[in-house]
Amino acid sequence: MSEVPEKLEIKQRFPLWKKWLKPITEKDYKPGFYSYFALPKQVNSDFFKMPFGDVVREPLEKDWKLPENWKEIVLKEMKDTMRKNRGFKLFMDICVRCGACADKCHYYLGTGDPKNMPVLRAETVRTVYRYHFTPFGKIFGEWAGARPLTEDVIKEWYYYLYQCSLCRRCSLFCPYGIDTAEVVWWMRRVLSRIGINQRFMCISIEASSRTGNHLGLYAGGMAGSIEQALEELKDITGFELHTYINKKGADALFVAPSADYFATPHWYVLLGYLLLFNELEEKYGITITWSTYASEGGNFGTFHSYEAAQLLNSKIYKEAERLGVKFIIGGECGHMWRDKHQFINTMNNPPKHEEWRRFWEDPDLGQISAGLKGINLGEFISGEHGWIHILELVAALIEHKKIEIDKSRNDHWRATYHDPCNVARGMGMFEEPRYVLRNVMNHFYEMPEHTIKEKTYCCAAGGGMLADELMELRMRGVMPRMMALRYVVKKFGVNIMLTPCAIDKAQFPHAVEYWKIPVEIGGPMEMVGNALVLTAFGEKPEDRKYDLRGTPIREE
Amino acid sequence: MTFMYIFYVLPYVAFAIFVVGTIYRILEWAKCAVPLKIPTTAGQQPAFKFVRRTWIDKIDSPSNKFWAFVRMLFEVFLFRSLFRNTKYYVEKAGKNADTRWLWLFAILFHYSLLIIVIRHLRFFTNPTPKFVSLLEYLDGVVGVAIVPPLLMSSVIALVALAFLWGRRIFLAKERCISLPSDHLILGFMAVILVSGMLMRYIVKIDLSYVKMFALSIITFHPPSPDVLNHLHWLFLIHFTFVCITIAYLPFSKVMHFAGVWFSPTRNMPNDNRMRRHVNPWDPNPEVPILARTGIVIDGMVFKTKKLDWDTYYEMYKDQLDEIAEKNYTLKPEL
Repeated sequence: MSEVPEKLEIKQRFPLWKKWLKPITEKDYKPGFYSYFALPKQVNSDFFKMPFGDVVREPLEKDWKLPENWKEIVLKEMKDTMRKNRGFKLFMDICVRCGACADKCHYYLGTGDPKNMPVLRAETVRTVYRYHFTPFGKIFGEWAGARPLTEDVIKEWYYYLYQCSLCRRCSLFCPYGIDTAEVVWWMRRVLSRIGINQRFMCISIEASSRTGNHLGLYAGGMAGSIEQALEELKDITGFELHTYINKKGADALFVAPSADYFATPHWYVLLGYLLLFNELEEKYGITITWSTYASEGGNFGTFHSYEAAQLLNSKIYKEAERLGVKFIIGGECGHMWRDKHQFINTMNNPPKHEEWRRFWEDPDLGQISAGLKGINLGEFISGEHGWIHILELVAALIEHKKIEIDKSRNDHWRATYHDPCNVARGMGMFEEPRYVLRNVMNHFYEMPEHTIKEKTYCCAAGGGMLADELMELRMRGVMPRMMALRYVVKKFGVNIMLTPCAIDKAQFPHAVEYWKIPVEIGGPMEMVGNALVLTAFGEKPEDRKYDLRGTPIREE
Repeated sequence: MTFMYIFYVLPYVAFAIFVVGTIYRILEWAKCAVPLKIPTTAGQQPAFKFVRRTWIDKIDSPSNKFWAFVRMLFEVFLFRSLFRNTKYYVEKAGKNADTRWLWLFAILFHYSLLIIVIRHLRFFTNPTPKFVSLLEYLDGVVGVAIVPPLLMSSVIALVALAFLWGRRIFLAKERCISLPSDHLILGFMAVILVSGMLMRYIVKIDLSYVKMFALSIITFHPPSPDVLNHLHWLFLIHFTFVCITIAYLPFSKVMHFAGVWFSPTRNMPNDNRMRRHVNPWDPNPEVPILARTGIVIDGMVFKTKKLDWDTYYEMYKDQLDEIAEKNYTLKPEL
């Protein structure tokens, strides 16, 4: 992990256009702000083969060993991207540089680097677009805000396109809906065509493509991990619980981000899932299975390119078909839900097998178990998609009084909720998690209005920015979120921030330590697990002595 | 003075460039594919019935094409997204506050320009339609004290322009992101507005010739040299800049007026889970592109091996068989 200075200075600089038109070079790269290049074993692997991925490159070296005709490739790919994506072409054309997006970007707020303003981040691309694709740009050059494509421009792109977490906060405020994340995402795709790939995301993409999940966990390892979770639950609840994996004929397939199998605090969320599944099976006979083949809900391909995203999310519908499930439940994850909400059923053909087709004719859970009648997925989902978020499901279970909750088991927690950017702006799930949290705990407080729901701040580690070498960027970028958190910690004595996002759960523990905020990080399903009374197993509300972290619930 | 006929030809040229250019730009956007359904969801999504959705949610997170259209109307006519604007105060421990100044002056500017354009119809029509006279009357109600009545739309447009340009000149951040073209278009607007107001209030030129000239343009009857010779130089400046601006529009950022309708983050409904969006260049993705055709660069093919279940099973047979032996059921190990 690169060292982050104790004290950060946010120095705002405002160079004029002529100055910022000049690209930065590798000499201006600052440690903590640039990503390492992917290695051949990641991008020249059988399972993830990118063009010119067989070359070892080093960002700080002058020679990036680009293919001979890199310029033609880039321009050709840019042109192709415009044909393939109206958004990209449009966003090249209609920005008026009003500046509404500028102080909306957490990276800009945290670094003060002008090219981290979404408008200038996209402008690093637009300037080249103008030079090579518009008549005015060609004729008037820098006076039209245009500059030719050079190797230095590639270096500037690599630096700034990889200081964006694709959180889309800027797109919310843009009067034309210009989505800088779209520009960044598709430009990363262009860069990948000349062999420029970021290491952090490619490690996970390659692993996921080869083993089924980002961690590169083999089937046995995943199963072992879940077994260990069941063991832990035995200690906590006293019940011998079970779960299914790769089971054909189950009612639903459950897909979680793979971090849930190992990392902390994701682990407690895994425990929460397992408690819920057992209660549901025991009470209603609904069977939910995990899969080792589709063991990854997250999709780092969505940080890289359309094709990489498709490569990773193609497995899940196939697995649903193989197992013959009726629908798919998705776990707590941020970008996963951008992918699973907006991408997956466009990038893949939805399942067509008999069980699926029949279930989705009238997708009431009453079909599976008479006791669950009334929970109708058809109110907002169809068989062309087939995914439900676990928190949506829990909200419905609570609303229809299908599970018993003992709120007081969470009385030692005073919680706030962080909306993951993609769940907020790529899906719009705001009320369900809040509904769940208000129903499973007594102390729930909102952060300031401008930092939640659709205006939520990014954790600064999404979009492939969770890399260790970007630590200073991450600690700076998380500043706005940390300030909002500190406010509720001081005002309401909040001691846990809950977030249904695996990357958040990985980033925030570092962030609260760095920003010295005495608060724990967790996920909503952990609180659900705490509060869920396993009535089907004969559990009474007061039976549970320990929460999922193993700390006593009530002081003796 | 045949030279003066340039001013007669100018508007046709400008208008032709504008129309052809605008159509060209729109067609260019229209023919691009839309691979994914990517609305920026700014409100509660369509959900189970018990989840409350306000009418604002329905607009900001439209559940079908109708609501997406309503969202577009709000965006185009009320500048919905700009209305959401906030300002971040780094020095005040990250305090955010609503700032609607940009929204206010932007909306004032655009609507007063619209009123001004409609008012100008009086030069191109004979007799002047009722609604144009009425609009002009209303526009001048407040400023009736001077002769001719001071038209609010011009004043507001000028003030808003001063604000919009002023922030690009005096605020460091906005100065930094401004390109010459941003100043250029504002400059055009300033010249047009100021020359127009000078003609009306200070110099008070003879408008009867201007109207004859305008009618000659609209009726395609070249004006007599007499009309042309009586056109005031201030009018010619005003008129020339209007023509230049009109011709320049298709090449400029002002095309946002057409482009915003195409914006995929705004014009698509948040109904991904109800209706599948088909990617026109990948309509039947049975096999992922990387494993189907791979990436082709200069005839070189970079193809990824496909991890289908059978391949996966072969690779991890032992472990998967072990799971099968457990009857696909995991229990705590004892």
